[in-house]
Amino acid sequence: MLTEYTFWFLSFLAVFSAFAVILSRNPVHSVLYLILTFFSIAGHYFLLNAQFLAAVHIIVYAGAIMVLFLYVVMMLNLNQAEPQRTSAWAKFLGAGAAGILMLVMIAVIRKAEQGTPAGLPVNAGTVENLGITLYRDFLLPFELASVLFLGAMVGAVYLSKKEIT
Amino acid sequence: MKELLIVSLAGIAVLAADVIKFRKAVLPIAVASLFSLIFFCIVDWGRNENPMDNNMLLFDNFALGFTAILTFISLCWFLITTEYFGNDARRTDLYALTLFSICGAVLMVSYTNLVMLFLGIEILSIPLYVLAASKKGDRLSNEAGFKYFFLGSLASAILLFGIAMVYGATGSFDLGIISTASTAMSSPTPLLNAGIVMIFAGFAFKVSAAPFHFWAPDVYQGSPTPVTAFMATVVKGAAFAAMFRLFSGTFGSFIETYGDVIAIISALTLIIANIVAAVQTNVKRLLAYSSISHAGFMLGAILSAQNGDPKILLYYILTYGIASLTSFIVLYHVSAYQQGAEDFNAFKGLVKRNPVLAGAMTLAVLSMAGIPPLSGFLAKYFVISSVLQSGYLWLVIIMILTSVVGAYYYLRIIIAMFTPLENSGRIVVSDFQKYLFLLLSLLMVGLFFAAAIPDWLY
Repeated sequence: MLTEYTFWFLSFLAVFSAFAVILSRNPVHSVLYLILTFFSIAGHYFLLNAQFLAAVHIIVYAGAIMVLFLYVVMMLNLNQAEPQRTSAWAKFLGAGAAGILMLVMIAVIRKAEQGTPAGLPVNAGTVENLGITLYRDFLLPFELASVLFLGAMVGAVYLSKKEIT
Repeated sequence: MKELLIVSLAGIAVLAADVIKFRKAVLPIAVASLFSLIFFCIVDWGRNENPMDNNMLLFDNFALGFTAILTFISLCWFLITTEYFGNDARRTDLYALTLFSICGAVLMVSYTNLVMLFLGIEILSIPLYVLAASKKGDRLSNEAGFKYFFLGSLASAILLFGIAMVYGATGSFDLGIISTASTAMSSPTPLLNAGIVMIFAGFAFKVSAAPFHFWAPDVYQGSPTPVTAFMATVVKGAAFAAMFRLFSGTFGSFIETYGDVIAIISALTLIIANIVAAVQTNVKRLLAYSSISHAGFMLGAILSAQNGDPKILLYYILTYGIASLTSFIVLYHVSAYQQGAEDFNAFKGLVKRNPVLAGAMTLAVLSMAGIPPLSGFLAKYFVISSVLQSGYLWLVIIMILTSVVGAYYYLRIIIAMFTPLENSGRIVVSDFQKYLFLLLSLLMVGLFFAAAIPDWLY
């Protein structure tokens, strides 16, 4: 019972703060609401018995990435920036596309089977099980992700490095 | 597996060569690794290795064939762009990024697990975002990188969302398990349906098919021309190969459900790209739209994935890749000689100023237009005949009509080249490059006869 109440509370919080992110005029407020969204999603992970994922989610997103966001927003001083003007046509098309997507998602999820997928243990999200899955079944993707990060790192250094002659 | 190791280790070796101040070795390392990659593809051909690492990768003939042709195009790219990268101190970074990108392409043609597909797409794309923005002082290049990065990330997110939904519907990332789970259903469940459509949308973005093509002209025009050549050939080819692997094998049983969607997107791509290309004055932008229109043709090959075989797509990617690479690099030489001018006037009198470049360009655009004694004709012919077998007569009619429009704007380039121009200087390219252009031109003609021999391709 308590779990269910927590679920509804967290869901409401997540949806509310997600709306607040895109609706608030002040970019700093947007970023703070985004942190709230991340925390409520991390709460959902806890409810799903995935403690490790929840902890990593908070450390990486709410910790590292959001601090970076806040710094950038404050440094660029976006508070004074004029809000971007988009044409009514683009707004209409964007709203239409997003609306259709939402309609499809609602229709799909209404018809989807509920419950845990077969063969998935209840404690699938614990550190132990996650470690076994990651380092046994998904070892190759795990290793290959290093190529991705190396590429991203080389690219970031390349773009930010001063020109040398 | 060794294919993957070679190309990723080559990327690291290139970086290491830069660290120990041995920049001379950079290009040889890259070229040697690509040569050995092709060599291993030939050695392993037909061996049908077992899937490895918990069904993550499978280097079957499909994967080896596409790896070989994508590597071949990359090899030509490395050799033919030496002039652009020249003695640039930062070329090691760019070469390393390109090699990582090729590593992603190898993953995208050999995956048997959707996790690997996503990783492959990301490894392919992220270095490309940097390559697109690699001309740091140029505003257009910065804009291209920025645009590509934002829209590409969005497309990746949509693709990932689709993969998550497919996982929800079938309970696995493994292509084999997804395939058995989905053939057990008489028609796809709504969740699987939505997942497949979202994966398709993500792919459609990567190959710049019609409603998702808006990024392509700006990115292709803004990026440095050699990078554009890489994007239009290797990247597009890898994305199509990945799409074929997914939509012919795994989701092949639902081809009736998605056939019409793919056909409509293909038709839209062809119509929009060809009509817009016909009114362009900037040749680079024109070639970008032409590249979009070829995506429409290759979607036709995906559409007939069920009764056709990957050879059609493979042949199309190879011929289009060679022609497109040639045209972009000729454009690079022409515009580099004239302070970056990229309009039709820049091409005036090219026959006099450099006959080799003019000849290669003529063959390349004629091949892309699909004129008979060139390989592009057969590529289009194979696609059209297989689409006809799948029963999409209306799509075939659109394909033929838009090819006629295509011939018009390709001919405009040729006419410009043959227009005489008074007192113009010669465009100088090195002997080595001259031979490369000759080799590529020979291939455009030679592949026609290689494929025209019966019972070889068909």
